[in-house]
Amino acid sequence: MTMGQLMALAILVLVAATLSGPRLPRVWLALTLAGTAALLGAALWALGGSAVWDWRSGFAVGGERLHFRLDAVSAWFLTLVAIVGGAGAVYTREYWPDHERPESAGRGRAWWSALVLCMGLVLQCANGLHFLMAWEAFALSAFFLITLERDRRETRAAGWLYLAASHAGTLGLFAFFSLLAARTGSWDLGPMKDHPELAPLFWVALFGFGVKAGLFPLHIWLPSAHANAPSQVSAIMSGVAIKMGLYGLVRFSGWLPLPAGAGWAVLALGAVSAVLGAAFTLAQSDLKRLLAYCSVENMGVILIGLGVGLLGAANGDTTWGRVAMAGALLHVWNHGLFKSLLFLAAGSVLHATGTREMSRLGGLWRAMPWTAGLFGFGAVAISALPPLNGFVSEWLVYLGLFDAAAGHVPVAVAIVPAAIALGVTGALALAAFVKAAAMVFLGAARTQNAAHAHECGWWMRAPMLTLAAACVGLALAPVVVWPFLRQPLGAWNPAWRGGEPPAPLAALGALQAALAALVAAAAGALWLRARANGLRRALTWDCGYAAPTTRMQYTSGSFAALAVGWFAWALRPERWLRWPRGPFPSRADHVERIPETVLERAIGPVSEVVMAASAWMRRRQQGRLPDYIFYLVAGLAAVGALVVFGGM
Amino acid sequence: MNDLLNLLIGLAMGLNLVALGTSRLPSLIRIAALQGMVLGIMPLVMEHELRVMLLAVAVATVSMKGLVIPALLRRAMRTANIDRDLDPLIGFLPSLLLGAAGMIGAVVLARRLPLRPEHHESLLVAGALASVLAGLLLLIGRSKAISQVCGYLILENGIYLFGLLLIHSTPLLVEGGILLDLTVAVFVIGIIVDRIQRAFDSLDTRKLTVLRE
Amino acid sequence: MNSIIAFPARLAVWLLLAPLLPGIINKVKAWVAGRRGPPVLQLYYDLARLWRKGVVVSTLASPGFIAGPAVAWVAVLAAALLLPLGPLGASLSFRGDVILLLYLLALARFCTAWAALETGSAFEGMGAAREVSFAVLAEAAVVTAVLTLSLQSRSVSLSAMLVPAAGSGTLLLAVGLFTVLLAENCRVPFDDPNTHLELTMIHEVMVLDHSGPPLAAVLHGAAMKLLLFSVLLVQAVLPVGKLPPAAGAGALVAGVLVVTVAVGLVESLMARVAFRRVPLLLTTAFLLCVFALLIAWKGGAA
Repeated sequence: MTMGQLMALAILVLVAATLSGPRLPRVWLALTLAGTAALLGAALWALGGSAVWDWRSGFAVGGERLHFRLDAVSAWFLTLVAIVGGAGAVYTREYWPDHERPESAGRGRAWWSALVLCMGLVLQCANGLHFLMAWEAFALSAFFLITLERDRRETRAAGWLYLAASHAGTLGLFAFFSLLAARTGSWDLGPMKDHPELAPLFWVALFGFGVKAGLFPLHIWLPSAHANAPSQVSAIMSGVAIKMGLYGLVRFSGWLPLPAGAGWAVLALGAVSAVLGAAFTLAQSDLKRLLAYCSVENMGVILIGLGVGLLGAANGDTTWGRVAMAGALLHVWNHGLFKSLLFLAAGSVLHATGTREMSRLGGLWRAMPWTAGLFGFGAVAISALPPLNGFVSEWLVYLGLFDAAAGHVPVAVAIVPAAIALGVTGALALAAFVKAAAMVFLGAARTQNAAHAHECGWWMRAPMLTLAAACVGLALAPVVVWPFLRQPLGAWNPAWRGGEPPAPLAALGALQAALAALVAAAAGALWLRARANGLRRALTWDCGYAAPTTRMQYTSGSFAALAVGWFAWALRPERWLRWPRGPFPSRADHVERIPETVLERAIGPVSEVVMAASAWMRRRQQGRLPDYIFYLVAGLAAVGALVVFGGM
Repeated sequence: MNDLLNLLIGLAMGLNLVALGTSRLPSLIRIAALQGMVLGIMPLVMEHELRVMLLAVAVATVSMKGLVIPALLRRAMRTANIDRDLDPLIGFLPSLLLGAAGMIGAVVLARRLPLRPEHHESLLVAGALASVLAGLLLLIGRSKAISQVCGYLILENGIYLFGLLLIHSTPLLVEGGILLDLTVAVFVIGIIVDRIQRAFDSLDTRKLTVLRE
Repeated sequence: MNSIIAFPARLAVWLLLAPLLPGIINKVKAWVAGRRGPPVLQLYYDLARLWRKGVVVSTLASPGFIAGPAVAWVAVLAAALLLPLGPLGASLSFRGDVILLLYLLALARFCTAWAALETGSAFEGMGAAREVSFAVLAEAAVVTAVLTLSLQSRSVSLSAMLVPAAGSGTLLLAVGLFTVLLAENCRVPFDDPNTHLELTMIHEVMVLDHSGPPLAAVLHGAAMKLLLFSVLLVQAVLPVGKLPPAAGAGALVAGVLVVTVAVGLVESLMARVAFRRVPLLLTTAFLLCVFALLIAWKGGAA
């Protein structure tokens, strides 16, 4: 079988899955799994050999011949689409079944395979027009998935916000691709480094793809969409769909000539996204919103790597830029895997308790040990702690930054602050995930819902375990991943095509494995020792207080309060406080809310002004002929004035 | 020689940051005094042979900036019975970060300025700019009258550092004149502070805006 | 070549000598206060006693309550083994090991905070929140310090990085690192290891509910962390690696002793700062490291 046949098979099977989705859940699951397996096979094939699959058809769509191309960069992202697409499909079976959600389960299945298919197509389209079509179809299927639960008002609002933001980005992409086509005379995409006049187009692409990637401050749609979508949808949106924006940036920064400031801008955007994304993450009290903001942070980390890569490529360097870029690409996989895992685990919590509010959860580990363990695993991984996979990729990014700094490169002015920002981001992310895991799973249940939770079944557990296993593989054997990783690296910048790993990955992998073994051994030994000495259960030390309640536990807000105070200039927390008054105080309230600052403080007021201006304009449009004639005359007068005075 | 001078300037720049970070009025006064003393001994370090005039100015500077003015301020503080906590308009942490950024900016700027070759290696201009900035920051960011005087002192220290650039061409008499002005100014402020406190029961400069008309 | 001897030697230093440091600090404090104080070996006695004791576990706690201290201990030990130890060198040296060291310490922090939150106690929650929040600022300072070392040695490997440059930059770096040492090890003026008021503590309040062998792991891990930071500080300031082995070992030991005594003196002579001033202090440490970095950078460019 050739790669072309495999691709065709995958596409056909996914189309069939989409058609069977509404009515035939079992057939749909089998077909989706088969389709994603075929995609995975094709992607790994492309990554394993250095062959590029390039296929031009005589068949034209919209006046352009179909042109598909699967090179290593596309294949790298396609792998993620396939894995998360398959895992989420299995998860859907128990999480969003027909008997619980009769009106939306069928739709959800159909749009799911449509989304996977469309993302696969986006990754392979080598024609600007078709890229835009696939992009639009991908955005729409994501919209329908987000609004599956459309009887909820928040979901509808989140869906509309997503659609509006997504289309603002698509508008940028329309401009990008049409300008590209106009300047090169063809819609065909491919390497065009030899057209220096195309360089300014990068800024348009940065906006268009940046919206999809959720970079600060273009991330406004992301938190509400990811929080309100069904969890398997949040998983694929956060793990994979936002990576499509990143794919666009990686793809076209590899193909197009770049303006001089590109690397600097990307690095700065990355640093801002990382630090502020992490600060927003820490401040959230809604579990899924927290995970959503964390995506902004991780996209920032990836962008830091990409920015260093761009600077390295621009300086003709072969060491530090290559390491950081390798880290960025690896982080794409890592983040896709553990973020999906975390969203699926959060879905399991939501399924069991019916709430995403962390202050209403707590103590779930007893009822949901699997979910708790898997979420804890994901939390360690996403905080980039050794011995898990998040550390490997962040380590590579750090290494790129440190190598550049140690080499006293001319761009060190940008490198040094980025390295410090990455350090701060890491510490903030750690705080955020200690908080998230502990508030949900540790301590005592804060409400009845949490007390009566139940563990999820194997259909939900298996995909999470698969994702966790993939994380473990990437963590312990990064050197095995290197042969795959070097392909997109070489495809992105041919000067970096070398075979040697840019960093001592083998040593790191061995250390990580040793560390994992030691950690397990030490924990076991300490447990045995404690048991041998005699282990007794007693109440938590409460300082002698006589009437402890579960409400006295530290909450998510109180845990984050200190750091939120330092970032108040960006987070703008809103507080409503009613003090207890009088000798017999009746009630007191304290409500705290972290707004989506960019949306509510910047874009909201501006759009209100625009709306007011439009309302004023509409009043001028009353269908009265004399008015229109007046506009006409005024316009003519303006043109005339321009001709007269412009010629002077 | 030059190293010692740079060390002293570095010390003065560090004191700028300490001044921005401190939350107590007495320590702010102490820091301004210490900085004045550090600046006062600089002419001795810069010149190779010891002249009487130089020595006199150094002694005058150290005693004025390090002893007399702080004593005046402390007296004003005591008689006006001011709350010793500073009341920041710009928080301590932001002002510290701003001061550090200003300091780095000053060093970068000083390296770009077309200076005479003998001043290239010296931190004089950078220190002067940083002190002026720190002084301005204190004037903007602290509300109490006496803390503003301290800001003014640090600002003047920056100007004094600029003056040291011209140590060979300008007589130190000019510096002496400035010093005298400064002392008188602080003296007057000390008296005014006392009067204001008695009249308005507050030294918050924000509240003094009602004096217009 | 002598790795067969050197590795156990390093392990012995970290495992066996680390508990001396808190003993010395306590002795210094007692001496300043005019008391006799506990014996220098007190922590050894405590550890031996705790290791034999039974364990009381909160009814709310999961197995993570016991695993947390174990993982944190392993992480600190692993980080310590990455650090070169004067003439003994490092167990393993590769490009980027310094980043692994920083993140191993972060892993230890994660596990300590996790175990603290297991109990559902508001006090422990408070301590964990403070620990992870202050770490944000401390991390900025540490990363800057490491960048400084990296810039002045033009290397990203710990064994090559710890070659201090003479000059004012090193002094700034030393003060910055010492402040970070105090913060990371929860000493005065950031935290008071002797306090018994839960509301004001950071580290001690996190381990309130631990007992028996897990508490021993926590205490021993804390001692190792203190030794780790002292060794790092000394080697960042003194050219220990360049001296002949005997002199290097002597310099290292003397340096660590000086740092320990300094910690004890700070603890005796200074009061704890108010909580709202802690960020200011940590920012100062960060700025000191930033200036050290700028000096290293300028020195490298010139």
